[in-house]
Amino acid sequence: MTEDTTDADTDEDVRTDGSGPGIVPPDDETPTWGERKTRREGLARLTYEYFERARSEDQELRQESSYVERDVLAFPTWPHEMIRNLALVSFFVGMIIFLSAALPPHIGPPADSSSTPAVILPDWYLYWSFGLLKLGPLNPDISLLGGQKLMADRTYGVLANLVVVGFVAIVPFLNKGSARRPVEQPFWGAVGMSGVVFAFTVAVLSVKNLVPMDSHLLFDLTFLLPVVSACLTYAVLRSMREGYMFNLNRRYYRLRPPK
Amino acid sequence: MSLKRKDDYDHAGWMKERELTAIERIYLTTLMWLDKRFRIVDYLEILENMYYKVNFQMPKSHTEQYNLDNKFWYWYPLYALGSFSTIAYIVAAISGALLGFYYAPGAGASNGEPALAYNTITFIMTDLNLGFFLRSLHRWSAQVMVAAVFLHMLRVYFTGAYKEPRELNWLIGIALISLTMVFGYTGYLLPWDQLAFWAGQIGVEMSLSIPLIGEWVAQLLFGGFTLSQSTVQRMYIIHVFILPFVVTGVIALHIGIVWMQGIAEPH
Repeated sequence: MTEDTTDADTDEDVRTDGSGPGIVPPDDETPTWGERKTRREGLARLTYEYFERARSEDQELRQESSYVERDVLAFPTWPHEMIRNLALVSFFVGMIIFLSAALPPHIGPPADSSSTPAVILPDWYLYWSFGLLKLGPLNPDISLLGGQKLMADRTYGVLANLVVVGFVAIVPFLNKGSARRPVEQPFWGAVGMSGVVFAFTVAVLSVKNLVPMDSHLLFDLTFLLPVVSACLTYAVLRSMREGYMFNLNRRYYRLRPPK
Repeated sequence: MSLKRKDDYDHAGWMKERELTAIERIYLTTLMWLDKRFRIVDYLEILENMYYKVNFQMPKSHTEQYNLDNKFWYWYPLYALGSFSTIAYIVAAISGALLGFYYAPGAGASNGEPALAYNTITFIMTDLNLGFFLRSLHRWSAQVMVAAVFLHMLRVYFTGAYKEPRELNWLIGIALISLTMVFGYTGYLLPWDQLAFWAGQIGVEMSLSIPLIGEWVAQLLFGGFTLSQSTVQRMYIIHVFILPFVVTGVIALHIGIVWMQGIAEPH
């Protein structure tokens, strides 16, 4: 009844020049915000539906949880983490100031393109990358190409950098699950240790003309040491895990058959 | 239509039917009088909110549940490495801005004669009051930042903090560690001494040996295939203009995501 009258009214009176009733007060005809949302189509509607689902999912989880004993996925950053960090960080800034007052940097002779220095080095944190440039001997030369190398040694070194960074990038997509301690996943602990050791050995390789050692031996050690350390780490973590499992299950072993 | 406003919420009527004592009535009248003018309800809501935030009781963490506090505190400094690198970045930014007042990029002929860049560094180190400390602070905080970033990555790896909900932040972290090293490299070239020159030489050769886009990269970053004035100038602009904006933004994103997702529960 009311719908009919309002429809008729608005049809007659609303004019484009702004005269007439103009702004109509909200009545039953005006859609609520909820109705506006549900009337939407396409991606907007999909988004809205998904958010509704997510919200109800959260709501159900919240109702199910017993709150006190529930597993926590994360610590809140504020205040727990930040307060402790701020305390440590103030000491840390003091350390930087002390270091810089005590050990000002050296400044070398001015740039001279005509005299190459005996030792060319980047900063220490680029040694690993610099060492990857010296992996020329690993560059495969294919007999089909008549002993020609597939790519220049330098290109090979640059690509080695990309491969290393790429491997580090895909780690979270290879290793999933909720394990947090290295003991829980000896394999990934071993992979990490071999990576750390490789970063050091390849850094040493980058300054091989300063190391008093046969360069072939050094090259072999560069790849052997990471493997050795990986095996060691794996063995240690596995035996630690056995120890943990024994502790966890000790109650089990102590059970005596009833008399 | 009358001008008199309708009282939708008949507070007076409500008070009458409530049989209040005198004190209660005076109190309520005052409250309503004030509320009508200042809408105290809104502020009460804020106060209530603050009350709950102050008396916020945390759910029991894994650390508390299994009584691991002793171990956790022992390892705690490793969990602060991210903050360490951020604060070192801030210190480097401040000291770098001050250094920028005195430094000027200029390569000269690179024939063993000290050029503009080298001269300004010498001036900062020898003549400027506390200049040596300023440069030292910049350099040390940069070194310490790189070290903290590397250790931070190792900590995250070995405690499995990069796992399931945090993959994206791990990737952002890799971008950040690379950008940090680029920051360090461009800064290493700025004094334009022998070390800087030959490190630049290696950089040009490296970028030239990138397949397909090598020459383009060398032109873009080093301003040519040999080192010259434009190399120092480009390194300077990358170091003081481009990278600060990019790295600050990415750090903000990185920390923002950590803030949203929380610290990966250590145990």
